[in-house]
Amino acid sequence: MSAPAPYSPRLQTPQPDHARRRISRWLWAAYSLCALATASMFFIPAFIIRPFRYQAPRALFVAMSLRQRAPLGTLIAALACFILAFALRKNSSRWGKALLTFTLLVVTFSAVMARLNYFEWMFHPAPGPQFLAQSESKVDPKEMIMSVRLGGDDRAYPISQMAYHHVLNDVVGGVPIAVTY
Amino acid sequence: MWTRTINGRVLHFYLAGINNQNFLMRDKETGTWWQQITGKAIYGPLQGAALDLVFCDELTFGQWRTESPSGQVLAPVAKYSKEYDPNWEPDVAKLPVVISFPGTELKSRDVVIGLTINGAARAYPWETFAKQSPVLDRVNGTPLLLVLGSDGKSFRVFVARSDGHDDEFFLRADTPEWALLDTVTASQWNFQGCATSGSAQGKCLARIPALKDYWFDWRNYHSDTTIYKH
Repeated sequence: MSAPAPYSPRLQTPQPDHARRRISRWLWAAYSLCALATASMFFIPAFIIRPFRYQAPRALFVAMSLRQRAPLGTLIAALACFILAFALRKNSSRWGKALLTFTLLVVTFSAVMARLNYFEWMFHPAPGPQFLAQSESKVDPKEMIMSVRLGGDDRAYPISQMAYHHVLNDVVGGVPIAVTY
Repeated sequence: MWTRTINGRVLHFYLAGINNQNFLMRDKETGTWWQQITGKAIYGPLQGAALDLVFCDELTFGQWRTESPSGQVLAPVAKYSKEYDPNWEPDVAKLPVVISFPGTELKSRDVVIGLTINGAARAYPWETFAKQSPVLDRVNGTPLLLVLGSDGKSFRVFVARSDGHDDEFFLRADTPEWALLDTVTASQWNFQGCATSGSAQGKCLARIPALKDYWFDWRNYHSDTTIYKH
């Protein structure tokens, strides 16, 4: 009868620790991808479509494409991030938890901003246009206006106002128009 | 200015971004992106569609008042009134440009009057136009008349043709009132392009849409544009 093999703690390491570490790595990888996707869908178009920055046609196409898909895309990716973060937090170190918290903030910020039109924070839209008779208007006679005459309606849009609002939806003489500047 | 109806559907536009200092807008109904200066849909469900141009004038308020005594004026929005800058032009002129076209005789922020006739685009440098007004020109076979108003700011463009004949127009120097005379009928014409006396009285010249723009912006969207020289 042969002697039993000596006890070796290494050979007896329980398998679940290896598997747990591997799962954790995959979870972190998935989480990182989702967080990157969420942030990209907001930050890339925001970076490309900026005032005083040249936009090549291809870059503009990418920005519009991302911006178009961002409201739904960021929602799905952000949801995935929260689920993965919940799965990761229990076995994460203090630094790991801090990283999760920080990235979730960025993810949340991106998902919210993907739904907001911050251009209208800079140039507020004019609410349903109101009009004055000439006698009530304080526009200086030398000030430039854009005038339109349609179907009996005669309207003037001071350029100082349109240069701020940029676009105004109106109906003149029964014709829906977009006043733009 | 553009109409807001495409295939019978009325769209509502909002500011969505900026593309090389020309703004982008989107419609709420489909989310399609539109270029403001061309009125064309450049991305989205309606990509390729084009809005119809609405004829408009750029005039001083004073000039418009005399022509449209019963017209209405857009009311300012009280909470944004501090943002409205009546002297916006010199302020905007100081802003940097992101696109330029070296090799042309115009500088990026030079103001031009731009127009297109059957696909042929031409830019009239404002300073040249202001000195020479009225300007007679021909683009793509169409005789044109560009006129600057007595206020030195309002402008219009007409087809220089009356009764089917090409015509030439001169500013009357012998009256305090702004008026043109044509060489074919010797009629007097007002700033609205209508004859107020002479054999052509009651007739009006056809109008041409024109845009007052910066050179870099006009050139960016009209790559084949020519420049008026005299």
